Amino acid sequence: MREAVMTAVSLPRSPSRGPLNATHWLALLFLAVALVFAAVAWTTGNGFYLRLATEALIFAGLAMSVDLLLGYTGLLSLGQALYFGLGAYVSALVLRDGAPSFWLATGAALAAGALAGLVGGVIANRVKGVYFALITFGLAQVVAKAVYNTRELGASDGIIGIPQIRVTLGPLALDTADPLSFFLFVLGLTMAVYAGLAYLMDAPFGRTLAAIRANEKRVPFLGFNAWGHKLAVYVLAACVAALSGALYPMLRGFVSPELLFFHTSGNAVVTVIVGGVGTLIGPIAGSVLLTALRSVVGSWTEHHLIVVGVIFMLSVIFLRKGLVGALLPWLERRAAARARHGRRSAP
Amino acid sequence: MTKATLPATAALALLGLAGGASAAEPIRIGVVTPLSGTYAPIGQQVRWGLELALKEVNAAGGIMGRPVELLFEDEEANPAVATQKAEKLFQVNKVDFLTGTVNSGSTLAVGQLAERNDRLIATTVSFSDAITTDKCSPNVFRVNARAGQQSAALAEWLAKDKPQAKVYYLGPDYEMGRSTVAAFKAAAEKTGAQSTGEVFAPLDSKDYSQYFGQLRAARPAVLYTSTAGNDTVRLLTQMSEYGLLRNLTVVGASGTVTAQNIGAIGKAADGFVTGVGYSAELDTPENKAFVAAFRKAYDAAPDLYGADSYGLLAFYKAAVEKAGTTETAKLREAMRGLQWPTPQGLKTMRAGDHQAIQDMYAVRVTEGRFTIVGTVPGEAAIGPDLCARF
Amino acid sequence: MAETIDYLQFILAPQALNGLSLGVAVVLMALGLTIIFGLLDVINMAHGEFYAMGAFLALSLAGLGVGFWALLVLVPLLMIPIGWAAERWLIQRVFHSRDRHILTLLLTFGLGMILEDVLKLAYGPNTMRPETPIAGGTEILGMFLPNYRLFLIGFGLALIAAVWVVVFRTRLGAMVRAAAFDKDMASSLGVPVRRVYAGTFAFGVALAGLSGVLLAPIYSVFPTMGRDFILMAFTVVIVGGMGSIQGAVVAGLLLTQVQAISSLYISPVWSDPLVFGIMVLVLMVRPRGLFGRLGNA
Repeated sequence: MREAVMTAVSLPRSPSRGPLNATHWLALLFLAVALVFAAVAWTTGNGFYLRLATEALIFAGLAMSVDLLLGYTGLLSLGQALYFGLGAYVSALVLRDGAPSFWLATGAALAAGALAGLVGGVIANRVKGVYFALITFGLAQVVAKAVYNTRELGASDGIIGIPQIRVTLGPLALDTADPLSFFLFVLGLTMAVYAGLAYLMDAPFGRTLAAIRANEKRVPFLGFNAWGHKLAVYVLAACVAALSGALYPMLRGFVSPELLFFHTSGNAVVTVIVGGVGTLIGPIAGSVLLTALRSVVGSWTEHHLIVVGVIFMLSVIFLRKGLVGALLPWLERRAAARARHGRRSAP
Repeated sequence: MTKATLPATAALALLGLAGGASAAEPIRIGVVTPLSGTYAPIGQQVRWGLELALKEVNAAGGIMGRPVELLFEDEEANPAVATQKAEKLFQVNKVDFLTGTVNSGSTLAVGQLAERNDRLIATTVSFSDAITTDKCSPNVFRVNARAGQQSAALAEWLAKDKPQAKVYYLGPDYEMGRSTVAAFKAAAEKTGAQSTGEVFAPLDSKDYSQYFGQLRAARPAVLYTSTAGNDTVRLLTQMSEYGLLRNLTVVGASGTVTAQNIGAIGKAADGFVTGVGYSAELDTPENKAFVAAFRKAYDAAPDLYGADSYGLLAFYKAAVEKAGTTETAKLREAMRGLQWPTPQGLKTMRAGDHQAIQDMYAVRVTEGRFTIVGTVPGEAAIGPDLCARF
Repeated sequence: MAETIDYLQFILAPQALNGLSLGVAVVLMALGLTIIFGLLDVINMAHGEFYAMGAFLALSLAGLGVGFWALLVLVPLLMIPIGWAAERWLIQRVFHSRDRHILTLLLTFGLGMILEDVLKLAYGPNTMRPETPIAGGTEILGMFLPNYRLFLIGFGLALIAAVWVVVFRTRLGAMVRAAAFDKDMASSLGVPVRRVYAGTFAFGVALAGLSGVLLAPIYSVFPTMGRDFILMAFTVVIVGGMGSIQGAVVAGLLLTQVQAISSLYISPVWSDPLVFGIMVLVLMVRPRGLFGRLGNA
């Protein structure tokens, strides 16, 4: 992990640093592949795969929020599903009982996520290391149980009957019931969140986080408030998780307390480790990959936990930088070669 | 994902070209059921019941001359997984019908998905009243008995066997546990039972001994519980440990003591009474043949889940043959009011709420077997039609 | 006055006694966790699955005709090589990175996931239960307590005392504590640090397995049983102070009493959040828990 995290931390400062470094190339590649996939799926009329991919992107948002904490700040959250589920429930309630407005639902989910993140952050940031992991785990567990027992929130049955809505984007409008347009919309949103977070992590804010990660005790001597930064990134992660959660009921038309369970948090951590800690694009790719894997393996055997568990453990031991980490050196070499080549051919 | 799905997509496109609805084209039935997780034991009975029925239906020439195929998907007892798998079955595998969901959250979520895909589903296990009352759906049918039918049967037995009994209630503290207790309490009080107190323990409680003080103090003659699975194993064996089962009759929901946990409960299950729509001890030729075939195939006795899932194929077959098609709107009409044969006798699908009407039984556990101690005719147990949507 | 005595004798005291038997069970689980953490800095997320493994092993061996008393010895002995192998082949692979807290936590989390599924593959999903080895019950001051629970309380307390003696009063324990305090110094003083690490992990795993044997007759056996005690055990370890044996015992007995007594007055569903709330409070006031770590105690 040290290597993994050091890579993560030093990535923005790698030789190819600039507006388009290797990770960003990977993001563009991902976008291109996703668009090709969308085109193929659309022409063959495969709504299911588009919607499955949309779900993968939604959970990619949750994984990115785990990565913000783990990869950039060194805090392992085992309870990120709390904010994902919160966003999902708030969005579901707004859409069903309030107004069927995308902006109102996501706005409310974001506000709730920020508020809950502030409370949770103040509690969880009292401690660090494994204590942080266990306290986030406990927090999520308590909230999940409360939701499971609250009749007003549908209790163990969850809430069904969330309407499909139209999203208006200025002159454009799209229907969440249409697999292609909703996929493209969620893809755009995910990439926008990715770009925003990647920018932020490259900015002074992200570099302070890297410093906290490396040695928290020294940060105050540099004139930064470590606690404030940790709280800020915790709230930011909660907002990203809540935003992704808000999209879930728009896709599936229901929410259930299982969205808040440890299962969901654990899956997000697995996704980040398999995809690549501290890369942001890794969790996105990991989510897509694992969703596809589960869909295939799940139809083949009910013992998918063994399959996913083995892949996960192998990633922890051997692929310390995840799949993206395994790809990156190769991409960086190519980029460097191209740069050399470019210099030579210049007049 | 892209890499993995592209060949699949291409293959499907080819299949679509080569297919077409010829006479020999199989009828596909999707089964989304928990094969892993907490409810895996129930999923196993669902699978066994359906597979046994499949063998028999296909051996007898299929449905309208078409062979039947079952496509299983593991839903992990998680509605979020269930909808994803159900959507795959509907859209990729193009199943004609879908069944298998166990927890009511999954049944409700998949029911909504069926509406959006214009397909029909049936549950053979979920017994939450909501599915065929306030949250009923025109695309969802239930071939098993719901909680209301079960408590009606149990309350009637209680009134006859232990008139004016003092009853204490112990339920798991979640929606299903509380509503089951409330339903039985209402039914029992109507027939003269006195309530002496109630307590709700968290789901997955480890130790029930902390409630035994209150239970003892209330001095009830009957304890009603709506725990299930492992919770029941712990509750009953711990009660037996503390000597509480002497002079106390324990009654409960149909899912409280089942074929899955009765082995682990052992002697502590003896004397337990429940209201249920099926017992392997049912003395009819149809049931005897079914139990024998089931035992031969799986070396285990069928329980209500296995029997109701087995009966589902007969329901679907009868409906398709009546409608002459698998097309949704016509099939729905055919299913409404349909009568079909099952191991436990003829069942009728009530048109107004898509709830099966069937004879109900009070059964008592005697040396590990469910013996029938009372019968309530279907019409008496069913209760009013509370579905307002259709 | 008579009412007060009645209340104490028939409501409060039995509740406290039942809480005690649960408390001993929780402490047994927390003990292995806290020893492993105290020495290796490893949060063993697979601890619950090792506990389940012990229970299933006991069930299989009992099926072969091995008696309960033999199981109490045999199962921990069988768990030792399993724990040893897990430490050598898995934990050691990531042990020397700076983030070993998080990496080993993730690794054992993955291991737990696999073990749970393997148990299901081997034994099927249904609940099983061994017969209670000691039947009957005893009346103490008008309170009824099953004999097996009395045995569990007695045996559990003796076991806890034995662990304490081994860690604090033997040469072996001194080596372990030395390695926990400063592994380089211990190593230069001739302590075989690597073997102490593997041995301690195996010891913690064996304790989990033994808890499985002891608790199976009361709490029954099924593949996901490992999840039952894990949140409570972690809470106990955190409140007591990670790596502290006294802490685990005190916090374990205290928190289960809080749970037992509070469930007389509030809905039992809220007893979990209550205990969790206490954990948060302790962390706010004393982030290192009530007691110090193994090496420093």
